[in-house]
Amino acid sequence: MKMSKEEFLSLSGIEHQTLGVWIAQEWLKPSGSSVDPSFTDIDIARARLIRELFVDFGVNTEGVGVILNLVDQLYGVRRSLTELRRAVGATPEK
Amino acid sequence: MVTALTDPYKILGVAPTASADDVQKAYRKLAKKLHPDLNPGNLEAEEKFKEVAGAYDLVGDAEKRKRFDSGEIDATGAERARPSYYRDYASSEQDHPYTDNSGFADFMESEDAFAELLRRSARTQTNRRGRDLEFRLSIEFIESIAGADKRLTLPDGNTLNLAIPPGVTEGQVLRLRGKGAPAAGKGDPGDVLIELEIKPDRSFTRRGDDIYLELPITLTEAVLGAQIKVPTPTGAVTMSVPRGSNAGSTLRLRGKGAPKHAGGHGDQLIKLKVVLPKEPNSELEAFVTGWEGGKTYNPREEVMP
Repeated sequence: MKMSKEEFLSLSGIEHQTLGVWIAQEWLKPSGSSVDPSFTDIDIARARLIRELFVDFGVNTEGVGVILNLVDQLYGVRRSLTELRRAVGATPEK
Repeated sequence: MVTALTDPYKILGVAPTASADDVQKAYRKLAKKLHPDLNPGNLEAEEKFKEVAGAYDLVGDAEKRKRFDSGEIDATGAERARPSYYRDYASSEQDHPYTDNSGFADFMESEDAFAELLRRSARTQTNRRGRDLEFRLSIEFIESIAGADKRLTLPDGNTLNLAIPPGVTEGQVLRLRGKGAPAAGKGDPGDVLIELEIKPDRSFTRRGDDIYLELPITLTEAVLGAQIKVPTPTGAVTMSVPRGSNAGSTLRLRGKGAPKHAGGHGDQLIKLKVVLPKEPNSELEAFVTGWEGGKTYNPREEVMP
């Protein structure tokens, strides 16, 4: 589901200014233009994760950047593993 | 009535007398291992994390803890209601802007069957964003300090307007979001990256945020002092050369340097170079011949005692 910046702010509960910083850090990558960004559910879930890292885990700004980078790589690897498993399973045995 | 399963202290593994600090520490220790987004391979994590987060909601908050300890509220319904986790989206089949394959990009480079499978799977991610296009652009020194608007013609014939901000440095890369190659599928287009190359200037050089200029002045201006016009990258300004200015001495024009990242500007530093008229001048020769002070002063005293 696509949502506007206003909808995103009210659903995620983060501040307007905070959102600006997170986008500048490329922690969040909404589509559309910077004047009229467009968000989806994954952005909401990711914003929640970022807030938990800050508030619940007590991670600082640098730490959040490091964690997100590793998290993205981890999911990238997992996704490709999933596809590999499918590809290998589909290869007929000789 | 508190049972073992729902006792928040037991869930967190702390004594009911534990300090708020210890409760927080215990929660963070468990959450690190159990947070589903950070442990996507752990299938039990979600259920356990829900319990732990619920327990922490209850006794991690001083007010709620007091009410719980006095029996005013119980652990029922303390589980944190949560619509979904990041894990659910990041692991779904659909492509998303946060996919990062750099964790195994090196594997895709090799020639074996495994690499081929990886490349094939990468290709199937059809919704990935378009390629970034990289260009180099050569600009004048003055444009690098004052900024400039440029119109670029790309190899595909399209034109791009590029606003170069003031104060850019050699090798700096400007990014034009979404101006790169379109995506093969439904992804966003890539970016255009423009690496700047600054042509050396005949007069100005830059060191950090300061700009250096060697400025020729006449003997008359050096001896008597003068108001002279000085070029800066943003236009000429008037500067006073003090009486008795020596060749090689440096004057500072505050705030006439390159813009700083933190705001404000560097300085322009002007090194004076006294230049005699090109042709020998008999009047000057006659004066210097009769000038006793010029013969007794030894400027080489320090280098050749």
